[in-house]
Amino acid sequence: MSMNNEPWLRDDQREVTRLCVQTGVMLLQHSAESALVESVSRRLGLALGMDSVEVALMANGITVTTIRNGRCHTTVRRNLDRGINMHVVTEVQRTMLLTEEKKLDMAGVAHRLDHEIKPLRYNRLLVSVMVGLSCAAFARLGLLAKGGADDDMGTLVLTFFASGVAMQVRQYLAHLHFNPLVNFAASAFVATCIAAQGVIHHWVDNPKIAMSACVLLFVPGFPLINCVSDMVKGYINTGISRGVMAVLLLLACCGGIILAMTISNVWTWL
Amino acid sequence: MNPILTLLQDMGLAAIPAVGFAMIFNVPKEALKYCAVAGGMAHALRLGLHKFGGLPIEWATLIAAASISMLGIYWAQKWRAHPKVFTVAGMIPMIPGVYAFTALLALVEIERKGFTSELLKTAIDNGLKAVFIVGALAVGLALPGLLFYRRKPVV
Repeated sequence: MSMNNEPWLRDDQREVTRLCVQTGVMLLQHSAESALVESVSRRLGLALGMDSVEVALMANGITVTTIRNGRCHTTVRRNLDRGINMHVVTEVQRTMLLTEEKKLDMAGVAHRLDHEIKPLRYNRLLVSVMVGLSCAAFARLGLLAKGGADDDMGTLVLTFFASGVAMQVRQYLAHLHFNPLVNFAASAFVATCIAAQGVIHHWVDNPKIAMSACVLLFVPGFPLINCVSDMVKGYINTGISRGVMAVLLLLACCGGIILAMTISNVWTWL
Repeated sequence: MNPILTLLQDMGLAAIPAVGFAMIFNVPKEALKYCAVAGGMAHALRLGLHKFGGLPIEWATLIAAASISMLGIYWAQKWRAHPKVFTVAGMIPMIPGVYAFTALLALVEIERKGFTSELLKTAIDNGLKAVFIVGALAVGLALPGLLFYRRKPVV
C-alpha cells in the first residue's frame, strides 16, 4: 500500500487513537476494573503526545476520543469477554509505563500490543489439582469453624476429587467456547454429583461441608469485587453489568446443584 | 488450641486457595507468592479480629482487606503492576461463597416447595451476610486509594 497517495494514513493521531482504544479493549476483555482501563488508556495517549484523551466505558464497549490542536478523533470498539487474565493486564500496564518513561515510541507500543503480548495460560491439569486442593482447604476451614475437625479425611478427599474433576470439566467447556452460564451450570452439576456419591455411600462425616466446599470454585469472586469497586469509583453502569453477570453465574451454578441433588436425592444443603 | 497455632494453621490453609484462584486468574508466575502471602495474612487477620478481638465479621473483613490493600500498593510500586493483581486473589478465601449459595438455594427451594418463613429467613440472613461481606472486601480494597491516593495513580 502506498503511503504517499493516502496522506491521512501518515496521520499519527489516528494511530495513537487506535493504540489507546486497543489498550482499553485489552484491559476490559481481561477483566480489569474500569478505573484502571480509563487511566491506562488516557495516560498512554498523553504520553504519545495528545492534548487530551477522553474515555467512555459502556457495559460491552469502549469509546475513545483523542484531541490534538483542536482536532478530534473518535473510535468505538466492542468488548468481547476473554476471561480473567492478570498477566495481560500487567503487560499492558507496563507498556503504558514504558511509554511514559520514553522507552517506547508509537511503533514500539503498536508492536507490543499487536504481537508481543500473548495471554498466559497455566497448564490445565495443574490448575485443576490446585483448585482441588483449594476447595479441600476451604472444607478444612469449614470443619475448623464448625469445631469438630477431628480428622475427617473423607470430607477432604471427596472435596478434592469433586472440585478437581469439576474444574477440569469447566476448563474443557471453556476451551470449547461454551457460554459461561452453561459451562458453570454443567460443571456445578458434575461437582455436586460426585460429592453426593460420597454422601450416599457414607464416606464422609460432614456431608454438608463436602457438598458446599466442592462448588466454591464457582463463586465469581473477581466480578463481585470489581462490581463494588467500579461502583464506588463512579462507574455505575459497568459496575451494575458486572454485578448482574456475577449473580447470573451464581444462579446458573444453583441450577446445576439443584439438578444434581434432585437426581441423587441428597438434600444436605439446607 | 493455642491461639497462635490456630492463626498459623488458618494462614497456611488460606494461602492454598489464594494460589489456586490466582492461577485461575492467570496471575504471572512470579507474583503467585505474593498472592499466597496476601491470602494467608488476610484470612488470619480476619480470624484474629473476629474470634479473638470480638469484632463483627464484616468489620473484621473490612480491616483485613484494607491492610492487605496497603501491602498490595507497596508490592505494586515495587513490581510495576496494578495492586489488584496481587490483592484480589488474596481476598478469595474471605469471599462468602457458602452464604451466597445458601441464600440462592433457599430462594429456589421456596419456589419448589412453597413459602415457609423458615426458608425466607435462611435466604435473607445468608444473602445479607454475603452482600455485606463482599461490600466490606471491595471497599476495604479501595480504601487506601480513596484516602491516600485521591488524585494521583498508585503506579
